[in-house]
Amino acid sequence: MIDVESLTIDYGRADRAVQAVERVDFRLEKGRSLALIGPSGCGKTSILFALAGLLSPSNGTIKIGGNPVTGPRREVALILQNAGLLPWKTVWQNANLSLLLAGDYPEHNAGVILHDLGLTEVKSRFPAELSEGMKRRVGIARALSTAPSVLLMDEPLASLDTLTRERIQDLFLTLWQEHRFSLILVTHDIVEAAFLGQEVIVLTKQPARVKATVINPKMGSLDYRQSEAFQRTVHDLREALER
Amino acid sequence: MKHAITRIEDTIVLVSRSILRFVKSPAMNRVITYIVSIAILLFLWEIASLAVNAINHSRLLPGPYEALSQVVKNTAELQRHFFASAWRLILAILIALAAAVPLGLLIGREYTLNRFVSPMIYITYPIPQVAFILFLFLVFGTGSATKVAIVALVLFFQILVSSRGAAQNIDEEHLTSVLSAGATRWQVYWHVILPATLPEILTSVRVSIGLGVAFLYIAETSAALGTGLGTFIKAHMLYARDLAFAGIVAMAILGLVLYVGIDLLEHLLCRWKYVRRRPL
Repeated sequence: MIDVESLTIDYGRADRAVQAVERVDFRLEKGRSLALIGPSGCGKTSILFALAGLLSPSNGTIKIGGNPVTGPRREVALILQNAGLLPWKTVWQNANLSLLLAGDYPEHNAGVILHDLGLTEVKSRFPAELSEGMKRRVGIARALSTAPSVLLMDEPLASLDTLTRERIQDLFLTLWQEHRFSLILVTHDIVEAAFLGQEVIVLTKQPARVKATVINPKMGSLDYRQSEAFQRTVHDLREALER
Repeated sequence: MKHAITRIEDTIVLVSRSILRFVKSPAMNRVITYIVSIAILLFLWEIASLAVNAINHSRLLPGPYEALSQVVKNTAELQRHFFASAWRLILAILIALAAAVPLGLLIGREYTLNRFVSPMIYITYPIPQVAFILFLFLVFGTGSATKVAIVALVLFFQILVSSRGAAQNIDEEHLTSVLSAGATRWQVYWHVILPATLPEILTSVRVSIGLGVAFLYIAETSAALGTGLGTFIKAHMLYARDLAFAGIVAMAILGLVLYVGIDLLEHLLCRWKYVRRRPL
């Protein structure tokens, strides 16, 4: 379970501090998905980085599995906006980066994930030789290589064309259902939030505060986009954002 | 008969296509570019020689033919001086790299260290290192070690400033990416900072080669005796200028060899920079 209580994040020195996040609370049960949506630059990414252990909260607590987050940990994986691939490493090295850093010989698991994501043929290529969609797949392979129990995603599909974006959203859904990790997605795209989040938290402009929570119980199938429930969730989210 | 002619025609087409493909290949293209550039330089040198000699009514500036024939005639002696200069320059580059890259990367990334070290760089960088030549000769003597030290000192600042700048401009997403994967500080340097800055470091080495050759010349000519192209050029400049120019040609070759060497090294170590998107 992920437990966030009164999370506050300030940047800068005390006398000139800028508040990015103010008293945000939420709880996510194991294996469920949550989307955080809000205007660009509202502080969504700060929340995600705090969950990943890359930022220390100024106030409040974050617990994953009952333990306070004090730094990056193996069971929590992060997918960044542009997949965060290192241009000087091959697809194989990028996909296994977490394992290599931990001093583990790349496990069988990583090879299977590369195969499942259709990356076996390009495993010795550099990121510059891949399409944008493939780069995102490598980012996903890296995140899943350590079999995480929590997957954090920071606008992972920004700057992709609509079709590729939908294809990768479908892939995220399938992988989430297969691997049963807890998923937290940060996005400013209403459609993406409605497709992938069982719960969607709408945040205010900076500092980010919880403005509304939209429950999205019927998500979970690939044809959800065509349903009325999906349209209703999109409508509710738009209203909450505009309010 | 007709069949034989067709086969000959086919062969000619095939051979000419292969030649064209070879000529058009990137490697061959580069070789041709180098040859054409050198030919143009030699031509300009010949013109300059003719002009200078006509104005002075003397043989003040030898032409490329005279200098190059001296290179051929004195290969053994030139080789001795060439290798003496080459190892000094290569050693100086390696020493400068070993000292400047780690320091440059550290001050580029570690805020506190940068605050203390940067003012020192700003104060010492603009001092012309040539001012220390005589002092170094006085302290360490006129041997090779001092000449290497002078060149290394000059290159150190060039490479230090470049590596610091490159380390400061690293894409934050690359750092976040490895930090979130649990990288230690050492791993961040090894997996991100060093490879990300390597192209700029190699560029600074490439730029420094010209400077290194110039300072090596100054260091070698400042010492009265010894080996090295600088000493060779100085010894012949007054009374056998064609030999002195043969030495200058050898120095140009030294620079060229090092440039090409750094280019090859960059292609080898930074292969990722030269790839383009390709379909499956």
